[in-house]
Amino acid sequence: MANTNKMIFAMVVGILYVVFGILKMLEGFGIETGLAESLLIPGDFFGGFCFVVIGAVFLYAVKELSAGVHMGVSYVYVGILMSLVFMAVYLLVMGADLLMFYAVKSEDYEGWRIIDSMRPGIYLGLLSLIGYFYWKDRFTTEMTKV
Amino acid sequence: MPHVLPLTMMPEGKEGKVVSINAGQGLKRRLVEMGFCEGSLITVHRSERGALVVVVNGTKYAMGKGMATKIMVSDC
Amino acid sequence: MEKKKITIALAGNPNVGKTTLFNAITGARQHVGNWPGVTVEKKTGKRTYKDTEIEVVDLPGTYSLTAYSIDEVVARDYVVEEKPDVVVQIVDATNLERNLYLTTQLMELGSRVVIALNMWDLAESRGDEIDTRKMEDFLEIPVVKTVANRAEGIDALLEEVVREADKGEHHEHEVSYGDDIEKKIIELEKIVGKDSALSGKYPVRWLSVKLLDGDENILEKIEGSSVATQVNSVLSTIKKEDYEAAMAEKRYETINTVLPQVCVKCIKGVTFSDMIDRAVTNKYLGIPIFLAMMWAAFEVTFTVATPLMEFVDMFFGWLAGVVAGSITNPVLGSLLGDGIVAGVGAVMIFLPNILLLFLMISLLEDSGYMARAAFVMDKLMYKIGLNGRSFIPLLMGFGCNVPAIMATRTIEDEKDRLVTILVNPFISCGARLPVYLMLAGAFFGRQAGSVIFGIYILGIIVAILSAKLIRGTVLKGKPSPFIMELPPYRLPTLKASAIHMWEKGSIYLKKAGTIILAGVVFVWLLSAIPAPGVDAAFASEEILGTEDSLIGVLGHIIEPLVAPLGFDWKVAVALVFGFIAKEIVIGSMGVLYGTGEDEDALAEILTAGAMNPLTALGLMVFTLLYVPCIACVGVVKKETGSWKWTLFMVAYGTTLAWIAAFLIYRIGTAIGWGL
Repeated sequence: MANTNKMIFAMVVGILYVVFGILKMLEGFGIETGLAESLLIPGDFFGGFCFVVIGAVFLYAVKELSAGVHMGVSYVYVGILMSLVFMAVYLLVMGADLLMFYAVKSEDYEGWRIIDSMRPGIYLGLLSLIGYFYWKDRFTTEMTKV
Repeated sequence: MPHVLPLTMMPEGKEGKVVSINAGQGLKRRLVEMGFCEGSLITVHRSERGALVVVVNGTKYAMGKGMATKIMVSDC
Repeated sequence: MEKKKITIALAGNPNVGKTTLFNAITGARQHVGNWPGVTVEKKTGKRTYKDTEIEVVDLPGTYSLTAYSIDEVVARDYVVEEKPDVVVQIVDATNLERNLYLTTQLMELGSRVVIALNMWDLAESRGDEIDTRKMEDFLEIPVVKTVANRAEGIDALLEEVVREADKGEHHEHEVSYGDDIEKKIIELEKIVGKDSALSGKYPVRWLSVKLLDGDENILEKIEGSSVATQVNSVLSTIKKEDYEAAMAEKRYETINTVLPQVCVKCIKGVTFSDMIDRAVTNKYLGIPIFLAMMWAAFEVTFTVATPLMEFVDMFFGWLAGVVAGSITNPVLGSLLGDGIVAGVGAVMIFLPNILLLFLMISLLEDSGYMARAAFVMDKLMYKIGLNGRSFIPLLMGFGCNVPAIMATRTIEDEKDRLVTILVNPFISCGARLPVYLMLAGAFFGRQAGSVIFGIYILGIIVAILSAKLIRGTVLKGKPSPFIMELPPYRLPTLKASAIHMWEKGSIYLKKAGTIILAGVVFVWLLSAIPAPGVDAAFASEEILGTEDSLIGVLGHIIEPLVAPLGFDWKVAVALVFGFIAKEIVIGSMGVLYGTGEDEDALAEILTAGAMNPLTALGLMVFTLLYVPCIACVGVVKKETGSWKWTLFMVAYGTTLAWIAAFLIYRIGTAIGWGL
């Protein structure tokens, strides 16, 4: 079945986003998960919520696809688009950090390294980027057609 | 023979012609302004989940079913 | 043994195979005539199934049972007045939703219904999977699969019909219309029930529902009855148009809760835009997706703006230095340095925030998502008395209320638009943020963030409650039914979005360049002119911003008005100048307390006893709610075209602000909090 790839992809990415989102939310509440440091997860309740939403969109795709609803792929596309939006947001935040460090030379940024601005939103977004290029035809042809 | 039916009853993908709008003056005027005039062609794109998506004069609209029941169309 | 006799009626949408099924049931035993009084063809036929003689009446094909057409009236009257034993509804399996609308209406009539799920082979061959068992469970109606043109399933259908006719008790089905409408239904039921001629003939609930539905045919029937005046007095209290729409929506809502369970897999031809729409307007995910997108927009607005704000700050710091270093005339130097550069600088520092917020909103708009967001939010907005379209202007209010109020032009309905304009100033704009930042930072330390967040939330709550209040009193009525254009999705380009950003953002810049500039000069002048009887030079250092200047006189005049809130004359003056632009509140407090631009020094003076946490909180809330800035008032006047509404807004907001600050100060003092 043609949708199996998409289903597996959505399942993996969906679970990752939900798990990372929950970790983010927990850290945001000040609950030490122990994973935060190694996975570069900042404590951020609302940011975590957004991750859970993205994960939920992917998992919804799994739910529909496994029920045999072809339209379920819509959720894969939207999930990919959303995670790319969030990747862009975190890259912009990284850019702002760079400016603060190099141009403003803010005191708060002493000892800042680029890795400090590396966020799950960026490296998880890479997965979606792969998905985007893999199913690129669908995105580009349909998007420009209108 | 064409039937006259509320817009909500139009099957998806079908084109019809607006026959009348059973609404008060204000609403009617608003709809006419948006292109829902008597005689204009209308295509139902999607009709599900309490709302429908229609295309009139090349413009896509979302509208509640409540609104759509007031627009009478004839299928042709 | 004598045969049992029953009558059944065939109902259904046109083109669902009703006639074919009729033929399949009755064969050649048909009679064609006319319905009494009208030229609609009436077909009846007979069929004997086992030991039951069945008379079959073919009703005209209809989409619903309202009174849109004569066909509908005929079909309806037959079902209501002749009371057939069973109504068989032929349902097109390839178009369930549309067909089920009629089912809900038959159910409301209290008829015993059996569904013939026709053309199900067609649905199956294109990949749909319809779960008839579930359908029976949800609708509590027997469902039989038929293929009329091959005469399949006819016996099973008749079997079910006979069994249904034999059933002793009959379960009444109802569509639930929600509290508001139900209340009216019950009210009407009581009245209609009194007329025995009517209630003997028609189900009372159905009559009431139809009356609210604005059914002309039923209205006519009521007109000649004994309860006409009572019914009319009830109906005159509602807006028919809104009820009609709301009730139709409720029926579809009922269908839509059933449908996804019943039709496991329904395939449709779709475009990519439709696919995105499917996900972003999903019943469960729609609002969370929307919230996530908003969070992303705000994250960019506030985080990315930080370094840019630093640059603006640096620029004005440098400018102040240049002014101080190059201008020797003390009066001119003071005007430029203390007045213009400090004042305008305090405003311009938010330019990055505001431009970025507008850029984000432009990107969301240009991509086509905003229209869907309005669509997703419509239900929620409707509940608070606004329209889905009110949402974007409210959101923009977080940047600046002026372009936000201008953006209400996209709302066609005058009342909806007016309500959106009137509550918009309660959405805390960027200009009010520095006031919160300074006060919360000085008085609430680590809790500052939560306090500021709380102020924003308070603004939203006040906006919502005010919308409800205004809707319930001065602007009575329900928001207009939803209709909105859905532009196709496009990848937004930075260039186009930047242009849109500039269109909105330049309004803010213009404000900074004109009104705020004039405002700060005015403040400076007042604080530089010596008070009558004070012997000092114009703009001399001893009097600048003290009680010996004109501003001090003004402050003492209005002090009694704000004294119950715990504010002193300096705060009073700052608030008056806040009318020019809310940012000026902090700037003028700086001038009045003699700390100038140095916010840390101002915070020190305030915490040292000039204010306490209660008055600080009160001042924040007051700043949030009281009269919006002059630019905002101007735009409200321009957009509403009415001084009456503008003054109403000003008076309403200021009264609310006064009461809120008063309560905070008095209750807080009484319970000894924060002292």
